[in-house]
Amino acid sequence: MRAIYLIARREYLSYVATWGFWLSLLAVPVFAAIGAGVPALIQGSQPVRYFSVIDETGRGVDEMIRARLESERRIEVRDRLELMARANAGEAGAQAALAAFDADPDGLSGLDDAIAAANLGGARGVLAASSSQRVLVDAPGAGLEDLRPYLTGDRTVTTPEGERGLFAVFVIRPAADGGIAMDYVSANLTSTGLRSEVTGFVRDFLRRDALETRGLSAQEADALLTLSPEVTTLDARPGAAADAEVTTADRAPFVVAVMMAFVLWLAVFSVANMLLTSLIEEKGGKIIEVLMSTARFQDILIGKLAGVAAMSFTLFAVWGVVGGALSLFAGAALSGMDPRMMEVISAVADPQLLLAAMIFFLAGYLMFGAIFLALGSLCDTLQDAQTLMGPVIWMLILPLLFLFFSLEASDSMFVRAASWVPLWTPFLMMARLPSDPPLWEILGSGALMLATTALVLWGAGLVFRQGALGQANADSFKRWFRFGRGRKTAD
Amino acid sequence: MTEYALEVSGLTKSFGGQTAVRDVSFRAARGEITGFLGPNGAGKTTTLRMSLGVIAPDSGTARLFGRAPDAASMDRVGFLPEERGVYRKMTAEAVIVFFARLKGVAAGEARRRARAYLERFGLAEAGRKKIKELSKGMAQKVQIIAAIVHEPDFIILDEPFSGLDPVNQSLLEQIIREQAGAGRTVLFSTHVMEHAERLCDRIILMARGQKVFDGSVEDALARVPRQIVLGAPADCDLPGVLSGFGRLERIGEEDGALLWRLALAPGADAQGVLRALVDAGVRLTRFEPRRAHLHDAFVALVGEEAASPADTAAGEA
Repeated sequence: MRAIYLIARREYLSYVATWGFWLSLLAVPVFAAIGAGVPALIQGSQPVRYFSVIDETGRGVDEMIRARLESERRIEVRDRLELMARANAGEAGAQAALAAFDADPDGLSGLDDAIAAANLGGARGVLAASSSQRVLVDAPGAGLEDLRPYLTGDRTVTTPEGERGLFAVFVIRPAADGGIAMDYVSANLTSTGLRSEVTGFVRDFLRRDALETRGLSAQEADALLTLSPEVTTLDARPGAAADAEVTTADRAPFVVAVMMAFVLWLAVFSVANMLLTSLIEEKGGKIIEVLMSTARFQDILIGKLAGVAAMSFTLFAVWGVVGGALSLFAGAALSGMDPRMMEVISAVADPQLLLAAMIFFLAGYLMFGAIFLALGSLCDTLQDAQTLMGPVIWMLILPLLFLFFSLEASDSMFVRAASWVPLWTPFLMMARLPSDPPLWEILGSGALMLATTALVLWGAGLVFRQGALGQANADSFKRWFRFGRGRKTAD
Repeated sequence: MTEYALEVSGLTKSFGGQTAVRDVSFRAARGEITGFLGPNGAGKTTTLRMSLGVIAPDSGTARLFGRAPDAASMDRVGFLPEERGVYRKMTAEAVIVFFARLKGVAAGEARRRARAYLERFGLAEAGRKKIKELSKGMAQKVQIIAAIVHEPDFIILDEPFSGLDPVNQSLLEQIIREQAGAGRTVLFSTHVMEHAERLCDRIILMARGQKVFDGSVEDALARVPRQIVLGAPADCDLPGVLSGFGRLERIGEEDGALLWRLALAPGADAQGVLRALVDAGVRLTRFEPRRAHLHDAFVALVGEEAASPADTAAGEA
């Protein structure tokens, strides 16, 4: 035990004392923040798309498009008002503000009263600002040929931002069958968002028009167009109330479990790689024989695994504490806006899920770490190691692919069967846990995983002992395979 | 309590079908300095690794302090392997403390001893430097300290002099004598016979994976015929004059005279040779009785070919 402790301690300190450790410590929160913010950043950093419509139908399609854009902006402002008013003035304040806002059911003229009702005087600019990146401007010409220079940037239109080119032009004209044909003209060939959105507006317009032609009033046509079943998702799991609706908090553990499985995979992969690199360095630096003449090879193997595991748990602990504190802080702040927020956070911080993650990490790490150490002991250079690592890397990558399936169908036979493969159990069973797999499956695959872990450790020890002193190397595999094919060896 | 720190019996080991060590048996008596000698590839390192249980023999046994090598007996051994290195990013003192603690020395005592040994080896200033900042020779001294810092009963040093400059080789010889003087058993391997000749109470000679001699330095030297280097003008009939005194071999020329080496036959002595030459009127330009060296003994025991490094590295793997 003394040797294991000292070797583990040395390994641990050797990592903790490196810049890489501290960079990893900081990198995850930073990259997580970047990852979480990337969609919003991309959305926010998109330039405003100025576009024009040439309506040759004489049916007011251009005005309809302008009205739909205004309507969408109104909905956006209303949602923002509701959130801010609830956080600032509570539920009663939010209701009063919404009532004032809805006094003008089509425009934004009720916004000032709403702001006063919720005491949001300083937030008018934020509330009124549009996040819309699409602005309809009057066409600076009568025909498409006139507008082409605006599309290519040779000429500009006056906008609130200054002089800008046009992103696109819609030419809307009558179709032969009495419908509408539409040409979308843009110099940008890849962005399809604006085209889809305007196409949707025109489709609704045509349907409404068709319904009105058949004698329905505008209100009846709108009612038909917005018809949709009211879907309620109820929880039928054992223990749930008969009328218990499925909430975001109920769904959160499923998503979190898959995310944890991904994190486990990443952690196991990077940590096992660290072990491999460090062992090859030790072999290259001729330290390994000094160690092997001082401690038993099993102690060296376990000590190294334990040291790097301790380093990993330090990372997890720091991330966990920081992440937990931030979640609680943010949850407390956001629960004023949405009381369900704390439920989601407490569902995510399920101690059983965290304990399972820890156990699965340990087992996965021990299996892959021991395999990587054994392979490292056979190699003198990283290049040698890469040759041998191929099959192991594939064994690691496959569960990653299955994890995508498990998000939608964690109970599929394929995922269930794959989670019995001991090397994949830590990742796939982790992802399946919130869907309450049968106990016998958890215990059975867990026992198989632990038995495999012991077997892998034992086998890795044997290989490590041979490889560390140069009695076996990467070429040994080739000889074994040749032997397997019945050829004579050079020896 | 057994009187031997190490007893090996019939050790044999093959790698890939090639025998590196064949049926080697010897014992290292407590308090003695034993030299384990042979050219590169003779099987010394493999034998030492098997002796400590680092690798398993194909057949034969090794016993440390009267029992199979285990954690407790290994704690009483200090081993400096031939393939050695230390953690380059650790300080010299930290490396020594780490290995001392692995051998069961308490942390505080390990630090105290590390500083004392660093001072003794002239490395007091280097203690807080990282190994990568030290010269190769300094790093090697740190490794030697790491092997003996726990004050083991039995010290095994595999090629300890290689890589050291003459001053540090001399310092290491002194340290080995001190350790033996303190009652510790020392076994060291080398392919440089002079070190063994100066230090050892007993030597074991290995060649091509087999033990070829086991005894005192004097016993080994006794296997070598005494020699005399002679110089005389070319017209002198030395082969005729010295025909009964041993094997005469011409070895070159010097200042117009021929040089000869005479390997004395049993019973012949330098005094008799000189008398015969004077009586024959030989005008000697050189008469130099030579002391035999271990290398000569080794050549005499195994032949010139076997005394050369083996063409395979298997034995020293």
